[in-house]
Amino acid sequence: MDRRTFLKTAAGAAVTGSLSTPALSAGAATRALRFVPQANLANFDPIWGTQYVVRNAAALVWDTLYGVDATLNPQRQMVEAEEQSEDGLIWTFRLRPELRFHDGEPVLAKDVVASLTRWSARDPMGLMIKALQNELTTVDDRTFRWVLKKPYPKLLFALGKNNSPCTFVMPERIATTDPFKQISEYVGSGPMRFARNEWVPGAKAVFEKFADYVPRQEPASWLAGGKQMLVDRIEWIVMPDPATAAAALQNGEIDWWENPITDLVPVLRQNRNIEVDIADPLGNIGSFRMNHLFPPFNDVRARRAILMAMSQEDYMRALVGDEGALWRPLPGYFTPGTPLYNEEGGEILKGPRDLEAAKRLLGESGYSGAPVTCLVAQDQPITKAFGDVTADLLKRLGMNVDFKAIDWGTVGARRAQKSPPGQGGWQMFHTWHAGADCINPAPYTALRANGNAAWFGWPDSPQLEAEIASWFVAKSLAEEQAAMRRINKAALDFVVYAPTGFFLLYQAWRKNVSGIVKGPLPFFWGVAKSA
Amino acid sequence: MFGYVVRRIAATIPVMALVALFVFSLLYIAPGDPAAVIAGDQATPADVERIRLSLGLDRPFLIRFGEWFWHILHGDLGTSIFTNLPVTAMIAQRIEPTLSLMAITLVFAVLIAVPAGVLASWKAGSFVDRAIMGFAVVGFSMPVFVVGYLLAYCFALQLAWLPVQGYTPLSAGVRPWFENLILPAVALGCVYIALIARTTRAAMLEVLQQDYIRAARAKGMGEAAILFIHALKNASVPVATVIGIGVALLIGGAVVTESVFAIPGLGRLTVDAILRRDYPVIQGVVLLFSCIYVLLNLVIDLLYTVLDPRIRY
Amino acid sequence: MSVPTISRAPERVAAPPELPDLLPPIRIRRGLIGFLRRYPTIAVGGALLLLLILIAVFAPLLWTVDPTALSPARRTRPPSAQFWFGTDMLGRDIYSRVIYGARISLTVGFCVAILASVVGLVIGLASGFVRWADGLIMRMMDGLMSIPPILLAVALMALTRASVGNVVMAITMAEIPRVSRLVRGVVLSLREQLYVEAAVAAGTRTPMIILRHILPNTLAPMTVQATYICASAMIVEAILSFIGAGTPPTTPSWGNIMAEGRALWQVKPFIVFFPAAFLSITVLAVNLLGDGLRDALDPRLTKRP
Repeated sequence: MDRRTFLKTAAGAAVTGSLSTPALSAGAATRALRFVPQANLANFDPIWGTQYVVRNAAALVWDTLYGVDATLNPQRQMVEAEEQSEDGLIWTFRLRPELRFHDGEPVLAKDVVASLTRWSARDPMGLMIKALQNELTTVDDRTFRWVLKKPYPKLLFALGKNNSPCTFVMPERIATTDPFKQISEYVGSGPMRFARNEWVPGAKAVFEKFADYVPRQEPASWLAGGKQMLVDRIEWIVMPDPATAAAALQNGEIDWWENPITDLVPVLRQNRNIEVDIADPLGNIGSFRMNHLFPPFNDVRARRAILMAMSQEDYMRALVGDEGALWRPLPGYFTPGTPLYNEEGGEILKGPRDLEAAKRLLGESGYSGAPVTCLVAQDQPITKAFGDVTADLLKRLGMNVDFKAIDWGTVGARRAQKSPPGQGGWQMFHTWHAGADCINPAPYTALRANGNAAWFGWPDSPQLEAEIASWFVAKSLAEEQAAMRRINKAALDFVVYAPTGFFLLYQAWRKNVSGIVKGPLPFFWGVAKSA
Repeated sequence: MFGYVVRRIAATIPVMALVALFVFSLLYIAPGDPAAVIAGDQATPADVERIRLSLGLDRPFLIRFGEWFWHILHGDLGTSIFTNLPVTAMIAQRIEPTLSLMAITLVFAVLIAVPAGVLASWKAGSFVDRAIMGFAVVGFSMPVFVVGYLLAYCFALQLAWLPVQGYTPLSAGVRPWFENLILPAVALGCVYIALIARTTRAAMLEVLQQDYIRAARAKGMGEAAILFIHALKNASVPVATVIGIGVALLIGGAVVTESVFAIPGLGRLTVDAILRRDYPVIQGVVLLFSCIYVLLNLVIDLLYTVLDPRIRY
Repeated sequence: MSVPTISRAPERVAAPPELPDLLPPIRIRRGLIGFLRRYPTIAVGGALLLLLILIAVFAPLLWTVDPTALSPARRTRPPSAQFWFGTDMLGRDIYSRVIYGARISLTVGFCVAILASVVGLVIGLASGFVRWADGLIMRMMDGLMSIPPILLAVALMALTRASVGNVVMAITMAEIPRVSRLVRGVVLSLREQLYVEAAVAAGTRTPMIILRHILPNTLAPMTVQATYICASAMIVEAILSFIGAGTPPTTPSWGNIMAEGRALWQVKPFIVFFPAAFLSITVLAVNLLGDGLRDALDPRLTKRP
């Protein structure tokens, strides 16, 4: 063929080859709720990975036995009725009849038993119950029984708390996976199905309404009540760049942003189509989490030196900027504004910072100048801001900082390593805890100091554990408050972790989205989107 | 001619093999233990040992390379250490947006830059020429993300003519697909346009000095006809060459543009993989892009015979 | 035959009228000023570049403070008399960070240009002189050139920890093939020249040939290429830092500053604007310089009227 013919046919092919696909109706897009989560959904096992983003997604896909309501009281969810024996040792539970998994199978007691076994291997309250456990068995297809050696009055709260890990009910064959390995199938029992074939890790996760889910009759309140889904499809769109998310929200390309950064909130507020409000009045507590297994933070003096030198105002301002209403200093570990809050033992965090004394204390602890591995997630605004302040703080203290700028998913995986630093281990990382999880020691996983079974960092303080135990058996409010004061002081003296302050976060959504409530996690039931 | 095509294609194969060799060797060139890099930051010493055995570091280099190459030819690019998904699957999920962006930028850049270069060469020395070349130098110097943010600010936020981020697949309609890609394509294309315009102008200047152009003018041919039928065709070889080589700029720039405009393509996959030190993914993406680059240049080489009948290898 | 000397027209022929000159007489200025006037791009580019180098070298004397000193209490302040370019999200002075950032960018640019030129020169010479190695080396360079430079740099950075040195190494590897091709081209074309053949015949050893004949001819194109490599390296470094694969976050570089400010570009555009402006101007200066040098040093290109 000669040149001219070649060019002509090539041009012809280019033109006719493309523009023939019809445009789908725009209606499909409006029924989908497009949500920007706080971080990437890298893995999806809510028992293995306790990160909030995993728990938030799991709350859509799996149902729990009980669920706390807005007053933090556990209410029945999958359970229809429960019975406690006179001596409090035998708990019998009956499940609701119409519960189904997403593969069509009914939810049976054996699935619940397997799920609870897996849950109690990782959850601190679950571990306490397991230690008291005589047996956990099925009675029939819809009934199961938990027999304890000693009473555990907070059992229902343990089964319904929103703190990770929650008692998500999975099919037995999945729930028998080793609790220290990830599950590979995501068959849920909750109101939304996980569309695995549309999952693009790092970019998108899609949930579709499960038609056979039967919600309860009561109105929804946090994790309790009827989880009525008013949208057919929820798309989680991962946007690590806050500027892009802000622009997308302004343009109507997304509907709900979980955690807008404070600097961009004024711009969002100016937009007539956007609502911005505090996400959760119970706020959050920032955490400088140390590894108690290896130097330097295995010595309490090094940990106290950090408390002495750190400026909570620096951490908080780096995160929330100039709005004073969004943060307050926290000389303790519990949520301000709650009845059990106290500041006992918090003098070390108050007043002007004494860098010289801190350096001396650090020297006394025998710090040798070895590198301190800091895991700082860059794609999560909270930890990124904290990480920068910490790098500066440790440098001023004369420490040799090994700054690992990684992503939140990797932090989640790497913090589980107990190996020495330099062999895949770590010495500190940043995270935060929802205020709802820090009201008292019951859901407060991060406060526990029971050594190898404790949360990452593995603090070990029998004295602190004894004080916590004393709260669990307290019989009156006065006793509880006394116990809480002792706990606060013991925790600060031992420095289970260094609190960086108390802060509030915003959430933002477009005005055509209704039903969004304040709470420790984004609740999707009851949320509707009009055109 | 057929023989020429076959010979050109055959010449590409050793280059691709060499590219594969390079990409494979990168892991071993860099300091440190290759098994530790693959195992990743979150590995225990036991994990690293396991990976070392599976890498077969005790076996000769060429045998290891041969095996890896064999897997590549079967489409197996390894497994991501972070998501445990096959790298090929992850790439397949994300390839459409990136290819769309590159295609639109390529077409758009050529359509703007070549006429601009022709115009500049036609009016060589005049204000138009200086202006076009001035824009070209400035376009060459601004980093992609700066242009991207400026465009997003003006057109998406202030004027609200176009969406500020995201990607709509082609299956959802041509118009939304195109609208999402206009701003990224312009941002990505700036450097490319500058490069092509400069080369076009330089090549055209050389051609316009030739005698046959003067003869055509004397014959009474119109300027437009001379420029496009005689001059551009003869200048097309260096222009086509630079279009091919410049695709490397597109590929590199796509990485950044996708971050700025939140396009879920291979560029963002690479950025995420970098943050997580997920080496198999990076390796797979580099290999894929290199192959695309080589193939595109092969197509341009083959186009030479169409553009310039004098060229026969 | 002697050259006819006619000072006046013969009387029988009408004297040609005195016509004015159609074009003004061209005065060719000698020296540096003349050179710069003929090649304004070299003047402008060179002056800007020199200014930036001086800024980078004398950074501590230019009313800067510690670029890493953070003070969250005064974060994201707009430019003012106290903070000329404002402060970033951690309260650090952007002016100081940009000035110190110039050091990183210029260092990376120059180091890459010099390293790539030297290594490329060696490889190109080897390829040009050692015939049996030529095919192999050029195939390898083709292979290396087929990997887009940024991806190559990204892959190399993924294997090592973030540091300025590693960034320089990574970008250099991507730029070497082009220089080696250039040098090889010069060597191949010169090898055929008569004077080189004569030198070889006279028994001059190869190193002498390289030194006296080849190198002077490679200097011009290599210099031009080096400026383009410098500009390209600065942009690649900025891109690498922007996506988090470049200089460590604790060292201020223009790419880093822009990366940190990108979340706020809608409300506080000055954080991104100042390093972007500096980077663009620097790259522009280097590009102008390269263009000018190419025009000045390349005899084949026709000059503009």
